[in-house]
Amino acid sequence: MVAIRKNRAACWSAYIALLPMVLTVLGAYIGTMLWTARVSVSSARIFPTGDFVGLGQYERLFRNARWLLSLENLAIYGVLFVAGCLVLGFLLAVFIDQKVMGEGALRTVFLYPYAMSFVATGLVWQWILNPELGIQRVVRQLGFSDFTFDWIVDQDKALYTIVLATVWQASGLVMALLLSGLRGIDDELWKAARIDGIPVWRVYVSIVLPLLWPALSTALILLFALVIKLFDAVVAMTQGGPGTATEVPAKFIMDYLFGRANIGLASAASIVLLTTVVAIVAPLYYARAKAVQRGLK
Amino acid sequence: MKRDAMADIVPAVRPRSRRLTPARIGVYGFLIMAALFFLVPLYVMLVTSVKPMDEIRLGNLFALPMSPTLAPWRSAWQSACTGLECEGIRGGFWNSVWITFPSMVLSIAVGAINGYALSFWRPRGANALFAVLMMGAFIPGQVMLYPLVRALAAVELYSTLPGIVLVHVIFGMPMMTLLFRNYYASLPEELFKAARVDGGGFWRIFFELMLPMSTPVIVVAAIMQVTNIWNDFLLGLVFAGSDNLPMTVQLNNIINTTTGERLYNVNMAATILTSLVPLALYFLSGRWFVRGIAAGAVKG
Amino acid sequence: MNEATRRTRAIAAAVLATACAGTWAAPPAGPLKATVSHWWTSGGESAAIRQFADAFNAAGGQWIDQAVAGAEQSRASTTNRIVGGNAPVAAQFNTSRQFRDIVDQGLLNNLDDVAAKGNWDRILPQTIIDVIRINGHYYAAPVDIHMPAWFFYSKKAFAQARIKDEPRTWEEFIATLDKLKAAGLIPLAFGGQVWQEKIVFDAVFAQLGGPELFLKIYRDRDVKAVASPAFRNVLVAFRQLRAYTDPGAPGRNWNDATALVVSNRAGIQIMGDWAKGEFSAAGQVAGRDFGCFPGFGVKAPYIVAGDAFVFPKTSKPHVVAAQKLLATVMTAPGPQAAFSARKGSIPIRPDVDLSQLDMCARMGIAAMQDKARQLPNAEMLVEPDLNGALQDVLTNYWNRKQTPEQAQAAFAQAMKDNAW
Repeated sequence: MVAIRKNRAACWSAYIALLPMVLTVLGAYIGTMLWTARVSVSSARIFPTGDFVGLGQYERLFRNARWLLSLENLAIYGVLFVAGCLVLGFLLAVFIDQKVMGEGALRTVFLYPYAMSFVATGLVWQWILNPELGIQRVVRQLGFSDFTFDWIVDQDKALYTIVLATVWQASGLVMALLLSGLRGIDDELWKAARIDGIPVWRVYVSIVLPLLWPALSTALILLFALVIKLFDAVVAMTQGGPGTATEVPAKFIMDYLFGRANIGLASAASIVLLTTVVAIVAPLYYARAKAVQRGLK
Repeated sequence: MKRDAMADIVPAVRPRSRRLTPARIGVYGFLIMAALFFLVPLYVMLVTSVKPMDEIRLGNLFALPMSPTLAPWRSAWQSACTGLECEGIRGGFWNSVWITFPSMVLSIAVGAINGYALSFWRPRGANALFAVLMMGAFIPGQVMLYPLVRALAAVELYSTLPGIVLVHVIFGMPMMTLLFRNYYASLPEELFKAARVDGGGFWRIFFELMLPMSTPVIVVAAIMQVTNIWNDFLLGLVFAGSDNLPMTVQLNNIINTTTGERLYNVNMAATILTSLVPLALYFLSGRWFVRGIAAGAVKG
Repeated sequence: MNEATRRTRAIAAAVLATACAGTWAAPPAGPLKATVSHWWTSGGESAAIRQFADAFNAAGGQWIDQAVAGAEQSRASTTNRIVGGNAPVAAQFNTSRQFRDIVDQGLLNNLDDVAAKGNWDRILPQTIIDVIRINGHYYAAPVDIHMPAWFFYSKKAFAQARIKDEPRTWEEFIATLDKLKAAGLIPLAFGGQVWQEKIVFDAVFAQLGGPELFLKIYRDRDVKAVASPAFRNVLVAFRQLRAYTDPGAPGRNWNDATALVVSNRAGIQIMGDWAKGEFSAAGQVAGRDFGCFPGFGVKAPYIVAGDAFVFPKTSKPHVVAAQKLLATVMTAPGPQAAFSARKGSIPIRPDVDLSQLDMCARMGIAAMQDKARQLPNAEMLVEPDLNGALQDVLTNYWNRKQTPEQAQAAFAQAMKDNAW
């Protein structure tokens, strides 16, 4: 292997090129989180105050049943949503990749949910899933009078309807990501695999999936970010209801930031949310970074 | 370089044409079922958008309109009320364009450069910074509103077009950087090493080698950014200033009334109209979902 | 911004404001520009606010509309703009405690001379004065009075269920609901959203629990009253209504619930008087196709809520002049009548031309004349944070199998928790 001496000019270029990122991270992200942390230990209502109340907001936060429920909902939702999108997105990408007719049209069909404002599509889903308006009514009119599909009005099952609608919205994007990854795989591989007589599904599992890992990991992180930021769908479909059954952290934070004029509590909730995310993601990231360093991409 | 259908495990003749095998039928079957699932809400939206309100009040969601009308569409575009004015959503169209296009180009450029630098050059400390940047992807935008408003106001960028573009670049940076970094990580490193040996510097390698190979990921990045920025409401409302309000603000004003009457047919029409731009992009982007760009480069 | 800077700023602003407030600053040549932020974006609401805009423009102003739909979003946008130094000239809030914090921070101009000239302390209802006059100064210009707990009913549905009279007591109300159910209709058209549940609860609370209990709990935060049997009764009655709603109620928009009444599939809806907009949009007329009553009996409490405009702090003379002109125009009799006729509200002052108002609004004005019937809305008595917490308690009680005692305990706990 040819030894590469990183000449200093190129290295400096790299640093300069990364300057916007550095500024953004330090200024926008770290700066914001520091500010949020400062507000979370004050009793601020609409505007920041300068006072200091220790961990009072955090205590109040963890006494708040709605907050605790929102965390629990997020965990359940997160697992189902990520799994659903990955599986559906992968299947769609693989099947579309099979040189089907009308690929352009199909791709647009799967992607269009992503293009539409969820305020309206969320309402449509609410209608479709409402037992008196949507699917349950139609199926019953067809004669199956015992059919029930009233998840959206059920305290325990409403969350799954949000999973359904958001998977509908996001799988197209995952499909696009994975499709671009698939299209980057060398054709020679397919030919070689077929010559060796390996069954197609084996090719996908043992060869393609590992090669798709960068695209998959991008999709995974993207989906995880969408989970944390889940807000529009809940507001459009159930408003956090019935009751507080589909409450999620981002909605809790938003409600307290503006509607309830208590930015102290909202900041405390944001810090807790961020800390939870870091606690989950950081070890995974560290492990992966180590793997990348060892040259296994 | 054509590839055969995912059918033939049987060691028979491998024709290049697409035979209608059971597996092939399975492929189409799955895709059609999936397409139906995806299309149901669109059907409801379209049907609702051409019904008069009396029919909508009856609550027959899936029924075809008895007296279809295009009035809601006209209203959505040019006469629906968005406050004192009743001009529909057309007013914000160009604002949305002026906001989306520069933001998209800038955020993709920044993401590509970041991804390139992180992936191939790996300066010291950059990975740690990247990790923190990724944490930023997980922060709900509303949390950052207050301090960002203060910060932008301090540098006189609050309520300006450059201000909103900057905000979009900031918010898009984590995902764009991740997208490009992972994409470049999947490219063979021999390419890069060969170019270095050939004497290429940071920018030269980027513009002459990496960028041309980045078409698939640029397409995906464009899809994401155009959609996110075009449909963004909160950031545009807060940071763009009253002269530059994007179309989504008018859309919100039409759809989202608190105590006013709701004209669902107009709402659906307005939503579909606003989504036409990203939709057009999806449809036209097909040419770039092609294969073999990177592979070809390696072989050559 | 730290405390010291804020205080200095506030003092400086106050000095400037006092200096300017005494005189009616001569406006510069040209109209007085006013950027107005509000959330009235539907067709009916737009027609209403046009009355104010036209009157303002005719009086020498220039109304620049900056509407943001969604009340909470609009208020959030206003707050952000104040923070960013780009505040509108006038911004809409509800007549409530929502803008208390902004006043406390010294970020609003006061309207004392407009109030003095307009005799506000004599013509406005006391419930509204209590909210807009803070520390002796007027900080908001009220523009309408809404009653959030009207009972609307479909005449056809009543006829189908053979109901002849409007119920005048709670028992008659339940009987009416039973008759509707027996006739195969949806007795109570309901939308299971948190704020709608609160409206229905407050209606039951006011009608059944009575104004004294209402004030004791919301205004005086009397925890013992929360634990009382009277309040328990209210909770039980509230929960009782659930059996009269249909299974599709959770999450439903209020307009869709009104649509049930409009299409005569449901009997009664408890909703604010803004619902009349949906009825008119469907071509229905009060008294002919649908009926309305504000409560049970002639002494029924009339809950007072509404909207008001606040004026962010500024010392620029022509902006201050625009603010004062706006406040004057919006509270003048002519625009008040024209606005309310289109908005579905009732005017804030009794000395206006009532001929444009519909039957329900005239009923409301008659109710308001009896001062004993005026009952401030919960949001006038309770700050947004606690109001939200109480909504959470009530929605849990409505949607889960909780006992009234559990709800009482949670209610009291929420009041204790929010006493910062």
